Amino acid sequence: MAKDARILMTFPVTATSHRLDEARARGQYTALEKALKTMTPTEIGKEVTASGLQGRGGAAFSAGRKWSVIQLDDGQPHYLCANADEGEPGTFKDRWILENSPHQLIESMVIAAYALQVRHAFVYMRGEFSGPYERLQGALDEAYAAGLVGERILGTDFSCDILIYRGAGSYVCGEASALITSIEGKRGYPRNRPPRLTVKGLYQRPTVINNVETLSNIAWIVNHGSAAFKAIGTPKAPGTRLISISGHIARPGVYEIEYGYSWKRLIYDDCGGMLEGARLKCVIPGGISTKVLTGEEVEGLNLDPAEVEAAGSSMGSGGMVAIAEGTCMVRLLQVLLRFYHHESCGQCTPCREGMGWMHRIIDRIVAGQGRLEDLDRMIQISRLQDGNTICGMGDAAGYAVIGILAKYRHEFEHWIKNGSSMFEGNLECRRSS
Amino acid sequence: MNPALIPEFDRLKARFPADFGSSLVLPCLRRIQEDRGWIAEEDIAGLAAYLGVPRIQIEEVLSFYTQYRRSPVGRWHLEVCRNVSCSMRGSERLLGHLCKKLGVKEGGSTPDGRFTLKTAECLGSCGTAPVMVVNDVYHENMSPEKVDELLGRLD
Amino acid sequence: MPQIFIDGQPFEARTEQTVMQVADENGIYIPRLCWHPQLSIAGNCRICVVQIEGRSWVEISCNMPVSEGLRVLTDTELVRAHRKATMQFLTLNHPVDCGICDKAGECTLQDYHVAYNGEASISHEPKVVATKFYELSSRITLDNERCILCTRCVRFTREVSQSHALGVLDRGDHSVIRPAGGEGARPLEQDAYSDNIIDICPVGALLSRQFLYKERVWYLKATPSVCPGCARGCTIDIWHRRPEWALKSLDPRHNASISRVTPRDNPAVNGPWVCNKARDLAQLLERPRAHAPMTRGREVGLDAALAAARALIGKARHPVALVSSWASNEELQAFKAAFGARFTCFVKADHQPAEDEVVQDGLLIRADKNPNGDTARALFGDAAPTFAPDTDLVLVWGEGADFARLPRGVPVILLGAFLAPENGHAEVFFPLSVMTERRGHYTNFQGITSAFEACFAPAPGVVHAVQVFEKLALREAVTS
Repeated sequence: MAKDARILMTFPVTATSHRLDEARARGQYTALEKALKTMTPTEIGKEVTASGLQGRGGAAFSAGRKWSVIQLDDGQPHYLCANADEGEPGTFKDRWILENSPHQLIESMVIAAYALQVRHAFVYMRGEFSGPYERLQGALDEAYAAGLVGERILGTDFSCDILIYRGAGSYVCGEASALITSIEGKRGYPRNRPPRLTVKGLYQRPTVINNVETLSNIAWIVNHGSAAFKAIGTPKAPGTRLISISGHIARPGVYEIEYGYSWKRLIYDDCGGMLEGARLKCVIPGGISTKVLTGEEVEGLNLDPAEVEAAGSSMGSGGMVAIAEGTCMVRLLQVLLRFYHHESCGQCTPCREGMGWMHRIIDRIVAGQGRLEDLDRMIQISRLQDGNTICGMGDAAGYAVIGILAKYRHEFEHWIKNGSSMFEGNLECRRSS
Repeated sequence: MNPALIPEFDRLKARFPADFGSSLVLPCLRRIQEDRGWIAEEDIAGLAAYLGVPRIQIEEVLSFYTQYRRSPVGRWHLEVCRNVSCSMRGSERLLGHLCKKLGVKEGGSTPDGRFTLKTAECLGSCGTAPVMVVNDVYHENMSPEKVDELLGRLD
Repeated sequence: MPQIFIDGQPFEARTEQTVMQVADENGIYIPRLCWHPQLSIAGNCRICVVQIEGRSWVEISCNMPVSEGLRVLTDTELVRAHRKATMQFLTLNHPVDCGICDKAGECTLQDYHVAYNGEASISHEPKVVATKFYELSSRITLDNERCILCTRCVRFTREVSQSHALGVLDRGDHSVIRPAGGEGARPLEQDAYSDNIIDICPVGALLSRQFLYKERVWYLKATPSVCPGCARGCTIDIWHRRPEWALKSLDPRHNASISRVTPRDNPAVNGPWVCNKARDLAQLLERPRAHAPMTRGREVGLDAALAAARALIGKARHPVALVSSWASNEELQAFKAAFGARFTCFVKADHQPAEDEVVQDGLLIRADKNPNGDTARALFGDAAPTFAPDTDLVLVWGEGADFARLPRGVPVILLGAFLAPENGHAEVFFPLSVMTERRGHYTNFQGITSAFEACFAPAPGVVHAVQVFEKLALREAVTS
């Protein structure tokens, strides 16, 4: 199988390819026409479920199942939020859609709003994304002018407004419940469940939050049907996936692959291998909250969620970081823990105290004052946070710690015993020669 | 709070559903900061009064989100990403170069008020690392040389 | 009515309940720090975790809805491990201030440390430091190092007192509780219920400044009482030295003083709250006291004073009495029995709202600043005091009488607890006990009767009003 199907990156990006006229030329908004004029909300929901579409933000939850909790005739407002917070380090693939194919997102959101009986939909975009904001807002202006969003869309009875809600600098607002608390004008504190957000979400109304990429698949699914979607990718993970790859890779960027695509091909063929021909040491598969896999492990795997999970990690947010030989994993973990400490919202005990604790431990190791027991202590802290916090950030930091220590404990032991790094504390790619 | 912003806020409010008054806190603060350059005490009092929210809500929001500032910054607000991919492509060296060139420590401002230098966490631009933000605009694929050239162009 | 199982035992639950509430109702204790029955669920402390049978993880019970057949376990190995971990996290940066912290002895964190952890810290890192004496108001000091960010205080000001005076600033382990309005602002000064946050703080982060460093709580006893500050009649605990811990002091007042006042939970009247006026009861009840009966300003013995009063009452044809609205039910009954027929009685408001006092609000505070006015008015009518021209004796009982409006030249029998210039001008003066020196009942504006117990022996020289009335009435009973 060629495994080169494309759903999102179906055209070369030019200075104008994001505009409405060119998007229409590519077939955008035919699905909207089909959905609003020939399908019922329930039918669309069924198609989405049948397609097997999974969330592409990191949690991989079935989109159709999430949608099915919404009771279409409960007489209360429903809300739809596209999660464009994209804060997971290493991840920049939703940005590709926002900047280069905003109409695919807009069209999909209007269809989703119709399927969920939503009158007001939001795109929660991280505050730092000024460029993507300009692009998406420009696209929305075009869509409004063309009657593709707003009142009585395409002359039907269905009306829907899409507003971009800009964040202001907080990683935790990428978590669905923190995201809606932020839209409510407050601190981005995640919420305990129950209630599920699809029961009580934004202002206590049923709310669906989907990742930008997840939503952007909806238009294609409506146009081509769920069976066609299922024919792409793998049986359990249908469709394609945007992968943003960075780090010590020769051609970093966003690539679209079918689920099941060869990991080796992506790194060495599509991305041109490692910088300066360096050897691949390890890969963070899908955002820093996924466990690191060695180069050998990665080269033997396909980018199939099931295979990656069997190998002990996860495809996560699609934010892949390729790390070359000669990189100090101690300093790398220090960067990650500094990040988690900085971003902890502070609401619940294990994360609030645990992140700072682990950060201080690793700073002490890097300063040459580490003890061997520190390593097991960090693992213990990680395990104690796991599943015991209000949101997944508590688990996430733990996976980073446990993953890196599982594979590179010797580097930490070296630093503790010798007071210095095996690689001079280096994080950059050294020339292979 | 600058009264000239009120008509804009009224229009923004009208785009939200009716009971979403509290949601205006973040966008209004962003707009106030765009206008003044930072958020002043009178902005907090004024916005609380305009929106009818308790002022503590605004203060909580201001202190939670990293993009809001309660004091002025330099004419050019520089933020260098220090997260994983940018560090792997030289952002630490970049930061060191900037500190030395501008004669400031991280978080500091030059005495002439032209530059404020800070670090940021992942900006979602890892493919073009290392990345620096200058007054909310991304400058990608930076290097010490490119930084020098950029600074030379800034007035 | 779903049936759930806690530790294998079946319990009937109501559909809207959580597992923690069912456990509470049935005497099964699940630890909690951030949960409070009167506040919204925060679910941030994570100490209340339980394990659903068959699952390999724990979940918080304060936010766990009941469902038919739900089976939870509150004390498994896993639960204990997580409780211990939560305690380790909570004490990670918590300063070991117990030796100098007022909360010691009634501190939930201390109790839980002993119950669920009991070990020294496993951390080698220096503790995060923060502000230790932040003046939230003239009444409350905040120690951010001790604070565990349960947010009970923030939720209280948002949901109960609605002063919106407090919030959480910054993030992560640099989060701090701070008042609205920035540095130096004190919005809690305007919150008449501010001191409740001291009670609900599970640690020694929020402390009363008037109580600061005064007493160790284990030397104190809590006597049930009723606040006389208004007609709500909130039930309270008055804390004072236990007799076995009496101070060896030459001044008896050291062992007869109120150390502090806290609310006594009362679902029918005040819930778990009181307003700050109750906290300041010492200021009201410990004003300088009158200690000796007097006739025309000269100290006399009780018998002489009683004889003088009897003579005045016997002579009077049109005596008027101004009855105290701070009198207990028992005192009012005694007065009625003794003088109800003989005197024209009016009920007076002993206290009026002060200038800076909240008059009435939607929470607890009532405009009538007297604890027993309704009972008094039920017995003696609610007419405003007037003096017919033939009034030939006035009996003033308690505070608040406008002596300028009493008829000139008419003798006054005055009964009061506190030193006042009028005491010396009365024909006869009796020094009365205050409510902390006796037992009694007040009935509030809702008709709910609450008891107050004696905290102290009566101060030297004072007499109980009931005894004075009975003695003065003895002769009257014979003639009527």
